[in-house]
Amino acid sequence: MMDAIMTDGLSFAMPLLIMAIGGIYSERAGVVMLAIEGLQGFGAFVGAAAAVISGIYLGTESPLLIFIAMAAAMAGGAAFSSIHALLCVKFRAQQVISGMVVNTLAMALSPFLTSVINRAITGNESNKFQIGPSVRFTVPGLSEIPLVGGLFKSMYPFEIVIIAAALISCYVLYKTRYGLRLRACGENPHSLDAAGGDVNRTRTIAVLICGALSGLGGVFLAYSISATYSPNIYVGYGYLSIAAMIFGNWKIPPTACVCMFFGLARSAGYQLCLYLGMPGSYSDLLLTLPYALTLLLLVFFSKRNNPPRAMGETFDRSRR
Amino acid sequence: MRQERVENDYIVEMRHITKRFGGVAANDDISIGIRRGEIFAVLGENGAGKSTLMSILFGKYEPDSGDILVRGRPAVLSSSNDAVSLNIGMVHQHFNLVPNYTVAENIILGSEPIKRVFGIFPCVDIKTAEARIAELSRAYGLEVDPSLPIAQAGVSVQQRVEILKMLCRNAEILIFDEPTAVLAPREIEFLLDIIRGLREKGHTIILITHKLEEIMRVADRCAVLRRGRLVGTLAVADTSPQELAELMVGRELPPAGKRPSAGFGDTVLEVQDLTVRDQDGLEVVKGVSFSVRRGEIFAIVGVSGSGQVEIADAIAGLARPQAGRIRLMGLDITDCGIRRRIEAGISYIPEDRQRYGVILDFTLAENLAIKSYYRPPLSKSGVLRPGRIREFADDLIERYDIRGADGAGMITRSMSGGNQQKAIIARELSRDSALIIFVQPTRGLDIGAIRSIHARIIEERDRGRAVLLVSLDLDEVMNLADTVGIVFSGRMVKISPANRLTADEVGEYMMGVRV
Repeated sequence: MMDAIMTDGLSFAMPLLIMAIGGIYSERAGVVMLAIEGLQGFGAFVGAAAAVISGIYLGTESPLLIFIAMAAAMAGGAAFSSIHALLCVKFRAQQVISGMVVNTLAMALSPFLTSVINRAITGNESNKFQIGPSVRFTVPGLSEIPLVGGLFKSMYPFEIVIIAAALISCYVLYKTRYGLRLRACGENPHSLDAAGGDVNRTRTIAVLICGALSGLGGVFLAYSISATYSPNIYVGYGYLSIAAMIFGNWKIPPTACVCMFFGLARSAGYQLCLYLGMPGSYSDLLLTLPYALTLLLLVFFSKRNNPPRAMGETFDRSRR
Repeated sequence: MRQERVENDYIVEMRHITKRFGGVAANDDISIGIRRGEIFAVLGENGAGKSTLMSILFGKYEPDSGDILVRGRPAVLSSSNDAVSLNIGMVHQHFNLVPNYTVAENIILGSEPIKRVFGIFPCVDIKTAEARIAELSRAYGLEVDPSLPIAQAGVSVQQRVEILKMLCRNAEILIFDEPTAVLAPREIEFLLDIIRGLREKGHTIILITHKLEEIMRVADRCAVLRRGRLVGTLAVADTSPQELAELMVGRELPPAGKRPSAGFGDTVLEVQDLTVRDQDGLEVVKGVSFSVRRGEIFAIVGVSGSGQVEIADAIAGLARPQAGRIRLMGLDITDCGIRRRIEAGISYIPEDRQRYGVILDFTLAENLAIKSYYRPPLSKSGVLRPGRIREFADDLIERYDIRGADGAGMITRSMSGGNQQKAIIARELSRDSALIIFVQPTRGLDIGAIRSIHARIIEERDRGRAVLLVSLDLDEVMNLADTVGIVFSGRMVKISPANRLTADEVGEYMMGVRV
C-alpha cells in the first residue's frame, strides 16, 4: 500500500509541479496567471489529438506517441497562452479577467474541436480521445528502498522530463540573464526599462513558457489519470497548481514540496478508501482532501507570503 | 569657420526645442549648450519644463521640433537606449531599483556580464560584476556594498547605486534630476562632493534643480526656465541667489522673515509617554511626551527615520500607539478612530502627499471635499450634492490660489506637485481645526511655493491654532518654530524654545552627539 501511495502521489504531484512552475515564470515576470487551468486542458487536447492522429500512421502501440504528445502539448499550450500574452502585454487588459477568458475559451473550444477531429477520423462524434497507456519503468536499486521506494516504481517518462524541467527552471530563473530580467519585471518593470531591457518581450516569453509547461502538465494528467483525453480534464488541477505556487511563495523548491504534499494527500486518501472498503460516494469526498488542505494551508501561509511586487500591474512607461 | 569652432565647444547642444503636451507647451523654443566637463544647472519652478527638457535629451520624449547635437553631431534620441549609446546617463528623481535585488544585481540589470559554466551554460557573472563595482565605487568615492539588498539600503545608498549604474554603462554626460530632494542635509553634502568628483574625472554634469543654494555651491553655469521658456543662461560666478530666484519666479519674492509668536494660549495637544511600534514590531517611538499650545509652532526635528513621522501618524490616528495617551483639548483621543479625531479638531498634511494626501485620479473638487463630503452642505440624506461641492471647491481654489488648467474639474494627477500640496493645505486649513499637523510640508517644492506655505503656517499660528511641524529641513525649522523638540532614535532628547538654540546645536542633538 505504501508503494501505491508513493507511486500515485508522485504521478499526481509532478503535473501539478510543472504547471506551478509555469505559473512561477509568468507571475514572477509580473503577469497574473489564472489561465493555467485552460492552458493545461488545451495543451492536453492538442497533445492527445497529435497522439491519436500520429497513431494512425505509426500504429497505436508505438512508444514514440507519448513523446509526440508531449511536444504537441507544449506547442499547443504555448500557442494558446499567446492569447493571454497578447491581451495582458500588448493590450494591457486586466490580467485576472484575461486569465478567466482563456479558461472559458479552452473549456468551450477543446471539446468542440475533439468532436470535429473524431468525426473526421472515425466518423463518430465522441468528445474523447483514446490515447492508450503510457510506457512505465522502474528504477532498479532505488525502488528497493523501504517506505519511499514506491517513488521509483512504475515511473512515467513524464516524471523525468518534469524533474529535468524543474532543475532547468531553477537555473534559468536564478542564474541566467533572462532570469534576472524576468524577476526584475515582476518586482519593478521600470527598472528593467530604464536599463534598456524590453519589459514586454520578457513578459511575453514568460507567458509562452508558462503555456508550454502547463500543456505538458495537462497531457501528463490525461495519460496518468485515465489514459484518455476528455473534457473531464477540467476539474481544477490548474487551480490547485496555482495554490501550490502561492504556498510555495513563487519559489520552485518549496512549490515542489507543496505539490508533493498535495499528491501524497490525494493518493493516501484514495488508498484509505480502498482499505476501508468505502462506497464510491465517500471516496469522492476523500479525493477532495487536497482542496480541503488548500484551505487549511491558506490560513497558515498567507501571512508570510511575498508575491512579486509588480504582479498584475500593466507596464506603461509614462506612468509610475 | 568661426561658427564651427563655437559649436565644438559644446558637448551637448539643444536648439529650438519645442514640446507640447495636449496643447500646453512644456518647452517652448529652448536653446541651450553644455560645455565638456562643466556642471550645468537647469533651474526652474515645479512645472517650468526642466524635467521635460532633460527627458528629451535622455530619449524619453521626442521633441515636436528642434535639433539635438551631441559632440557636434546631430543625434536622434528616440529611446533611452539611444542616449545610453551616446554615453548619456540619467539619475532619476524616483529611483528605478528592484528592492529584493542586491546592489550589484541592480547595477548589471540590462547589461549583464556572462560567464560560461562548464563551457556551455551561460550564467550571469555576479562575482566579476561585484569586483568591478567595488573598484568603481572606490575610484569615485561612492561607498556601497555590492552584495547588500536594496531593500536594506538607505535612500542615499540607492542614489549612489543609480549613479554607479550610469558609470558602469560608461556614461560621460550625467543628468541628475532633483538629486537632493530625497536626501538629508549631511547626505546632500556627500552628494555634492561626489558631483564635484565626477567633474574632476572629466564627466559633464547636468543638474536639474530648484534649489538655489546647490547651484551656487557646485554649478559652473545655469539655465533658468520659467513656464516652458528659457529666461537666461548665466555664469554662476557672476550672479547671486536673489537674481536667480527672481529670474526663476518672475516676480519679487515675499520676504522670508521670522516672526515670533505673540504668546501661547491653552494647551491643545498633550502627548504622554507615547510608544509606537512599526510593522516589524520594533519600537520606533519610545516614551515621547510633549505638548503644543495655542499660538505655538512646535517643530519635531531629527535625522530621517528617528520616529518623527510615526509620532505624527499616531496623533492623526494612522498608527496605533503601543502605550501612552494622546489628549486633544483635554479629551483623550488615544483610542478614537480617524474620523473622530478629524472632527475633534485635527488637520493633517501628510508627508507622502500623493499616497495619503490626495486620490490622484479624482478631480480637484472631489479631493477638496474628501473630508467633509458626508455631511451638509456637501451632501443631504446620504446623497452628494455636486453643485455644492463645486461651489465649495471654487471657493477654496480662489482663497488658496490653487492653479491649474481646468479649475475644480481637473484631474489631480495632472496638477503640479506644488499645486497638489496647496490643495491639501487648503482642504485641511478650511476645517478650522485646533491642531494642524504639517509633515514635510515643503518637500520637493520650489521657492515660491515654499515661501507661500511658510507664510500660511505663521498666519495659522497667529490665528490661535496649535501647529505641529515635522520637517527634515533644519532651515525651515529654525525659520518657523517657536519651540523645538529634537528626536534621536525614537526618543525626544531635547525640548527647548527655538531662540535658545543655534542650528548647530540642534544638529548635534539630532546626531546624538549631544545629550
